[in-house]
Amino acid sequence: MLNRRDVLELAAAAVAISGGQLAAGTDSATDRPADFEIVDTNVSLFRWPFRRLPLDETDKLVGKLRSLGVTQAWASSFEAVLHRDLASVNQRLAETCREFPELIPMGAVNPALPGWESDLRRCVEDFNMPGIRLLPGYHGYPLDDSRIPELLKRAATAGVVVQIAMSLEDPRTQSELVRIADVDLSRLLPLLPKVPHARVQILNQKLRAPLLTQLAKLPGVYVDTARVDGTDAVPKLARSVAAGRVLFGSHSPFLIPEAALIRTHESGLLDDAGLRAVLAGNAREFLELNS
Amino acid sequence: MPLGLPSPQTLKEYRIWDSYFTPSHSHPGRDGSSGIFADIERALPAMRKAHFEKACHFPHVGIGTTTDAAYEKLARSNPDVVLQPLERWPKLLLGMIQLNANDVPASLDALNRWLRDGPMLGVYFPGGGAGALACSHRNFSPLVERIIDLNGVIMQHTWFKTGGKQGPGESTPSELAALAAKYPEQKFLCAHAGGEWEQGIRAVAGSPNVLVETSGFDATAGFIEMAVRELGAERIVFGSHLPSRSLGTELGKIIGAGISDNDRKLILGENYRRLLQSALQK
Repeated sequence: MLNRRDVLELAAAAVAISGGQLAAGTDSATDRPADFEIVDTNVSLFRWPFRRLPLDETDKLVGKLRSLGVTQAWASSFEAVLHRDLASVNQRLAETCREFPELIPMGAVNPALPGWESDLRRCVEDFNMPGIRLLPGYHGYPLDDSRIPELLKRAATAGVVVQIAMSLEDPRTQSELVRIADVDLSRLLPLLPKVPHARVQILNQKLRAPLLTQLAKLPGVYVDTARVDGTDAVPKLARSVAAGRVLFGSHSPFLIPEAALIRTHESGLLDDAGLRAVLAGNAREFLELNS
Repeated sequence: MPLGLPSPQTLKEYRIWDSYFTPSHSHPGRDGSSGIFADIERALPAMRKAHFEKACHFPHVGIGTTTDAAYEKLARSNPDVVLQPLERWPKLLLGMIQLNANDVPASLDALNRWLRDGPMLGVYFPGGGAGALACSHRNFSPLVERIIDLNGVIMQHTWFKTGGKQGPGESTPSELAALAAKYPEQKFLCAHAGGEWEQGIRAVAGSPNVLVETSGFDATAGFIEMAVRELGAERIVFGSHLPSRSLGTELGKIIGAGISDNDRKLILGENYRRLLQSALQK
């Protein structure tokens, strides 16, 4: 049976063979090989519960990502936001990801549900997922929930990374009926040192000092770029944390994927090496550490 | 190196005019300019990358739109500080003054000083800070009437915030629509399309003299498509919100949308130029 390293290597090879390294950018008149490899660590498949999104059909999303030069995308499922039968959510996710070589599935686990251990086991053993994604805000538990240490330990033992979504949507624009506060990430500070082999990536964060720097000092904590904003926000983020900790992520199709991509280089403050690291190098190392 | 951007040639063809440039938006710096200058310098790499032709900022002119008494006094006693950014970047920058509807006499004076007699093209009504007042307030009538006389452009900050207004001075798109109905001859810019744009677009759809500005919230997919569908591309105006927001977020909304290139050109510059036409000609 293929292990997770095999899955990732096959995905990369399939994209290269298929000529999936298309030109980045949106102007076909300037088609040329991509200068940068791009790994998007934060995409989601299927329907956002609160409205249709232009790219919520997987073939359209993958087509867009390919056009932007994305060669690998770590995908979870929007169905996990509200569904409780996460076993079927993750099965549909895995099956769909198999159809597209770029897509790497990140199954959802909800430790507030009975039998969450089984969901984790299935993600690892049945679907060979290299990681899982947690939605504490939408699943209704704080990060100091008593089940979290056990979840992190099991994930670390299994060699899978854990993505934690700090948010999915700006609280100011959420439905009045489903209001989800940003997750309190400070609760990770006392927890993570007790699980030293855990690899955690925080998604959709808009952290500031001192919490950002406190978290970034912990071994095994990584962040993405999806919701940091400001013309120089990504270079500033890269300077604020230890080298290698910033991973490109777009939160598409909820957010427009071009947005996060342009933001990495618009200020010109990241040199080529820094840009390559953020766009793909750091993500590959992050997963490699767990293979 | 595109990485999400169209080619430089395409960007030039879009002829981007930025209607919502926010260097040191809440305070220009104690000396009246250092904060603005620093923020403009910070934003320039992105603006150059996207080949912006023009960008409109919103200077404070000493009528109580900041809480800094020293700056307010400086701007009144030495109004040239307000002009410094325009003088430093004459080809790039446009200006619309921040008005304080809480102080109608001072605001009327400012309209004479900066629109009638000065280079400013219109006004910005803030949604927060010392100068904020909901646009449903009766104080807006004399100000809007004077702005109409002066062929000025009006940008009104708006948000529909889940959970309610952040402060009493905040305006919603519905309140702007009601104001716009009283003055059908005047065009109003609904800044941020209300933030929660699904409601914001709906609130102004029936107000033909209200255009939505696009900046100030995450690059949420579907916004521009809905706006084009419900309002028409002619009623949408691009804003960058640089440098506190990003080229990625704000330009990304337009170039990443499933709309025609013709509509993109309208949104990125043609609509704003048309809006400014009479103000620029005075």
